[in-house]
Amino acid sequence: MKTPPSPLMLRLTRMVVGDQSLHKQLLLWLVLPQLVLWMAAAFVTYNVAARYANRAIDASLLQATRALARQVKPIGNGLFIDFPRAADDIIGGDPDDRVYYMVSTPPGQFILGSRTLPPPTLTGPPKLGEPYFYDGVVDKMPIRVAALYVAYGDSKTRQLMLVQIARGRARRDELARSILGDTVLPLSGLILLMTMIVWAGIRAGLAPLARMRALVEDRAPNDLAPLKIDAAPQELRSLARALNDLLAAVHESVAAQRRFVNDAAHQLRTPLAGLKSQTELALGENVDPARQPRLQRVHESAVRSAHLVNQLLSLARAEPESALAQHSARVDLRELAREVTAEWVPKALQSGIDLGLDDAGEAAPPVVVQGHPLLIREALQNLIDNAIRYAGASSEVTVCVRRDGNSGVMEVSDTGPGIPPDLHRAVFERFVRATHEGSGCGLGLAIVKSIAERHGGQVSLTGIAPHGLRVTIALPLAR
Amino acid sequence: MNLLLAEDDAILADALTEQLRHAGFETEHAPNGAVAEFLLLKQSWDLCILDLGLPMVDGLTVLQRVRQRKPELPVLVLTALDDLQSRVAGLNAGADDYLTKPFDFPELEARLRALLRRSQSSPVANASMAMGSLVFERDSRRASIDGAPLELSPREWTLLDLLLTRRDRVVTKEEVAQAWSSERAEPGGNNSIEVYIHRVRRKLEGSGLSIRTVRGLGYLLEALRPA
Repeated sequence: MKTPPSPLMLRLTRMVVGDQSLHKQLLLWLVLPQLVLWMAAAFVTYNVAARYANRAIDASLLQATRALARQVKPIGNGLFIDFPRAADDIIGGDPDDRVYYMVSTPPGQFILGSRTLPPPTLTGPPKLGEPYFYDGVVDKMPIRVAALYVAYGDSKTRQLMLVQIARGRARRDELARSILGDTVLPLSGLILLMTMIVWAGIRAGLAPLARMRALVEDRAPNDLAPLKIDAAPQELRSLARALNDLLAAVHESVAAQRRFVNDAAHQLRTPLAGLKSQTELALGENVDPARQPRLQRVHESAVRSAHLVNQLLSLARAEPESALAQHSARVDLRELAREVTAEWVPKALQSGIDLGLDDAGEAAPPVVVQGHPLLIREALQNLIDNAIRYAGASSEVTVCVRRDGNSGVMEVSDTGPGIPPDLHRAVFERFVRATHEGSGCGLGLAIVKSIAERHGGQVSLTGIAPHGLRVTIALPLAR
Repeated sequence: MNLLLAEDDAILADALTEQLRHAGFETEHAPNGAVAEFLLLKQSWDLCILDLGLPMVDGLTVLQRVRQRKPELPVLVLTALDDLQSRVAGLNAGADDYLTKPFDFPELEARLRALLRRSQSSPVANASMAMGSLVFERDSRRASIDGAPLELSPREWTLLDLLLTRRDRVVTKEEVAQAWSSERAEPGGNNSIEVYIHRVRRKLEGSGLSIRTVRGLGYLLEALRPA
């Protein structure tokens, strides 16, 4: 079994696939550049922070290097280093950070130290007393190295000595990271706040658009009244005006079409009346018995066409645009049913049908709905007409009016063959007939449905055991 | 009874004229509004069937003009226009009845006869009615079946009178009760209507008439179809 996707899922899919929502577009255009700028700012901040961290560490390394260099004293041909004091100074700096040192005489003669450190890359003769700073790797650990060339001995036996002190870069990176963190966090908060403000702004700015959309969406498909444009902001007004022009054009063309149907139906009435009268007359005269059935068929066809034309006009009248819209009144369904049923009794008798009313009696309270009396009457007449046409001779047709919750209900039941349940939906379509018996045209229930819906009501069909059909019109009770 | 049929559709007019003649109306045909107006004003008519969409002078105008001179003439408007506005306009212009095309001839005939009954207010015309083998004479308050006098109590009389006037149409119990109270017949409740219907039914046996009970509504007097 397939379950329909939830509204949320639909929305998500739409957002991922990308619909042309103005909200999204605006948000994207406002927030995306901010995000790019934010990333650039973070990058710059990180680099600046790293540079300052390097500088601080370099300074401390240099200090330590100079201190170490000072402890190296030439004694005769050798060197004396007051090591413990110097080492204390250097290593005691930070217990977390690995600190290495090396004293050597270039090129590469190790004198003392905790580790062999890479020498600085020189582009010329080493400069005395000038510090060199560079990055290197020891034990696969990134390090920062400060190097200092120092000369010792007299001018004749002058020798060079390289003092290097290195420190793991963990500390430096940590410092840079903490500076970055301290800058980026408030920045992120700001971005978030900004996004929310922007979102709220977009929503507020586009609210009229949403209102207009709701206005158009909530419309019945046949409601072609113009949109209200007073409340719309400047930019939307032209759009609303264009829409209204379009609606007016559609309205005009629909109205023209209806007028045409109306006029055509009216024009057909007189010739049909003539045809009917002529065949009626011919049937009453003595005609060749062989021709009689033909004539009978012509007559039936004329009767049927006449019915169709009348039904087409009823349908046109049931449309919301019809002029009857203004004549809304309180209608007592009970009284209406009594009147209409009484009117139809002679016709029912002619068809051999027992038409009656299931009435709660005079004492029962009226069932009052607000609506167009002629249309509601038309709906009930159609139901009775249908029942008489299709139930077949010696059936019973019963009209019943009752109250059901907030609805006034009119029911027409018959003891005819009924309509198979799978056709219950289709018979409300125009020109769909459940049977090809009888002389109907397939518009009756479409008219009833149109009228019921126009009054905010419903029509439904129910089968009756052992056979028969009940058609129910439920209309909201008048307040 | 002479009747003027003002109808511009020749085929309909032809058939209708013939049908009306069969039904016993002396029928003249006017093909347009001008002729209709002329004939209506010049001659004396018992009835007029008027189409609204007539050429030269439209039906509504004819109706208004004729009404001023002949307020008593019963006019039935027969038209293709059946919306509310047209009906109101027709009735306002002085139509006595309104029937839309296409129509069933029996209905047209019934309505014409009803118009005649209403217009011929002279008691003589209305005095006696015959249906089946029943003869009902109002002024002498005598009724008979096949010549044999029929004994009717005042309430039975009122009941049968009502049913006869409204033959082939439903008479509700409320209408019976109303007729009784306005005629100041003997007092009685609503439930006694069944009793009287039962009695009248028995008295009508053999007259070719039958009173049919219409569920939930009332009663209807019809002529039994020859079996």
